[in-house]
Amino acid sequence: MAVTGLGVVSGLGWGVAPFLAALRAGRTGLGPFGRFDHSGHRTHVAAQVPDPPPELASRYRRWNRLTQADRFALAAADEALARAGLSGFPDPDQVGVFFGSSTGGMYEGELFFADLLARGGRAGGASPRARLGLLTSQPVSGPGDELARHLGVTGPVETLSSACSSATLALGAALDALRSGEVEIALAGGSDSLCQLTYAGFNALRAVSELPCRPFREGREGMSIGEGAAVLVLEPLERALARGAVPLAELAGAGASCDAHHMTAPDPSGRGAAAAVVAALADAGMEPGEIDFINAHGTGTPLNDAAEWRAFEQVFGERLKDMPLTATKAIVGHLLGSAGAVEAAATILCLAGAEVHPTPGGGAVDPDLPVRLVQGAPLPFAARAAVSTNLAFGGSNAAVVFSVFSATGRGS
Amino acid sequence: MSRGVVVTGLGTVGSFGGGREALAAALLAARPRLSAVDRSAGYHRPGGAGRAALLDGYDLSRWVPPREGRRMSPPSKLALAAARMALSDAGIIGIAGIDGRAGDTGELSWAAVVMSTVFGPASYTEGLLKQILDSPESASPFLFTESVANAPAAQIGIAMGARGAGITIAQREAGLLLAVARGAAEFGAGRAPLALTGTVEEMTPLLHSVLDRFGALAHPEEVARPFDRRRSGFLAGEGAVVLVLEDEEAAREGRRRPLARLLAWGRAFDPSAPAAGWGEGQAALGRGLLRCLARAGLEPGDIDLVVSGASGSRTGDRLEALTLRAAWGGRPLPPILVPKAVTGEYGGGFLAAAVLAAGGAPFGPTPGFAEADPELGVVPHAGGPLPAPSRVLVSTVAAGGAAAWLVFGGEEPEP
Repeated sequence: MAVTGLGVVSGLGWGVAPFLAALRAGRTGLGPFGRFDHSGHRTHVAAQVPDPPPELASRYRRWNRLTQADRFALAAADEALARAGLSGFPDPDQVGVFFGSSTGGMYEGELFFADLLARGGRAGGASPRARLGLLTSQPVSGPGDELARHLGVTGPVETLSSACSSATLALGAALDALRSGEVEIALAGGSDSLCQLTYAGFNALRAVSELPCRPFREGREGMSIGEGAAVLVLEPLERALARGAVPLAELAGAGASCDAHHMTAPDPSGRGAAAAVVAALADAGMEPGEIDFINAHGTGTPLNDAAEWRAFEQVFGERLKDMPLTATKAIVGHLLGSAGAVEAAATILCLAGAEVHPTPGGGAVDPDLPVRLVQGAPLPFAARAAVSTNLAFGGSNAAVVFSVFSATGRGS
Repeated sequence: MSRGVVVTGLGTVGSFGGGREALAAALLAARPRLSAVDRSAGYHRPGGAGRAALLDGYDLSRWVPPREGRRMSPPSKLALAAARMALSDAGIIGIAGIDGRAGDTGELSWAAVVMSTVFGPASYTEGLLKQILDSPESASPFLFTESVANAPAAQIGIAMGARGAGITIAQREAGLLLAVARGAAEFGAGRAPLALTGTVEEMTPLLHSVLDRFGALAHPEEVARPFDRRRSGFLAGEGAVVLVLEDEEAAREGRRRPLARLLAWGRAFDPSAPAAGWGEGQAALGRGLLRCLARAGLEPGDIDLVVSGASGSRTGDRLEALTLRAAWGGRPLPPILVPKAVTGEYGGGFLAAAVLAAGGAPFGPTPGFAEADPELGVVPHAGGPLPAPSRVLVSTVAAGGAAAWLVFGGEEPEP
């Protein structure tokens, strides 16, 4: 399936351009943030999406009533459709939205709940409707639904909420729908916003670093949280070429597995994560030797990176130490339910640009996890295909394989 | 679907109790079992709804021993109980097997687990938010871990040793049918030999009060009246349902008797729907329903029973009825069962009832229904015997715009 459009909203800004510039520069968007008062939290670093360009608010009818996650989703989708050269759909029944989110409108739900508690449990006092408005898009399905509503989609709409693998699973769901012929065009991605629930929760687990995360580095101390969205426009390659679109890459396969091990800790053997990668390769009809670089989940927690390395070692064997590996979270933070979408976007941009983006963070690579971590500057690299992985709470693992688009055939 | 998909196990927990026999008895008796909602937190408005179809002390310890359940949120416990009940129903594990990880050695090892939820683990989320708003450093890691939407699916995977895909779908009231479809797709594509799929929900006082303030709940006498002219809202419920889905051949080899066959599934979206309600997209949804049937080589005339997700919602039931009528195009509709009048909205009793209906279970009348709404043109089942169905359409339209359908068939006659 061809990726013909791509849109990104991240801590680097609104759009692919600031995202790509930061990827190429290895510049992190992690730092101080002000979405909510975090003075009482243990850490004080995140990648918050900056204020939107003024013209965005006037472009969308209900902007002021949308959740943060909804806004990210709409802006990313419109950018993706513009890149794809799609200004409308000839048959909206044949268009689907497949979205990942872990918290949906939780940030707005928190505002409602804080207000509720402050009023002694009485929601909204004299004007309950006004306060309840904070909750109308609170469900996790909010961003995907809002996107479908905005675009007039009448085909399938499905929101996956498997924590940090949500958006990667959404890409797999889109692939299934395209292959089966259920849809001709799929908008797939994810959106999540910063909220106190996840910020405090990961801090409670002592999983958050006080400094920007440093995936696969020696002495790494944990993850950093971000927010944003990415949306991919997917369509059958033949259809894309027939209408004159120039694909950015191809989504070749997707796979998923469960560790069946622990609610928060990854299986240290890496067996579950390896199964997801193997499944994605099988789905793509590819061998491990056809994968040229890895965009790892790479949260920067000691346990995640170690388990993930063991998974890659099982799949790629001796080749692993020579395969370029990057971790987009060092630039945008961990976007939770939308992490897989933004990291897929980074992977696609790397394939299309024939270079692998560096992983900022500084320090030596963990000697126990010998990987060829791309550091400092982009690595010029004409890769044929890459795998992007996400490992979630509850051991929900997912992987996707992208291959470079070549007018003369896959990865030639 | 390229391979025959059958339901070989059904686990269900709800206000009616636990197990398909308890649900079947409640549906036949046509009596919702209502409990008072705890209003002591002060979330409810004065004079608001006060009852719901709650579990109300149902003992899960037979399925989830206390020492295991103490590490789980209420939805995780409910989902795991329903999963074990379903596997026991299918004969894949025995009651004694609940302590073991069946997947470590048996046929569950690469099973997929696909669950859905609307609100996620609401009580733990609320508890965690209270802690955070009081002092972020007091946030409990345990509450956080179990507050994620996919905790129930993950706990099933961990408890059963199931290493196939672990997926959670959150698509409002359509999620449970989408989960069944995704479960079938997982092993239909050869990615899993078996799927455990279903839904889970808990109804907390906070959720109940918010639903009431949105005007979603039945008033004033708190009886859900699906498709009735005087319907005023739905009855909130809670519970869990898990189905064992497997390949027809594998079921036959395992000597597991199918409860129902999954013949088709489909989905569509109504972009006219507001974020917290239903729209007027019956034409688009009707086309979606026809596509669902057509993919299995069916048309509306092949359906001899509808299990509707109508709940008593004014606009939701309207869209459901008009979508069915749009698809049927003037032809008479088959008999329509409306189990949410008994089980309540949320918790999956509706899905479990559909499996029972496909197996020919008798249903009582639709409680609360007295007077047809002339705009809807739908009259639900009034009780009494129905012919054994050969193809059952399961239909739901969700708040926010999503819609989903399944078609179940009864047991295939021996060749």
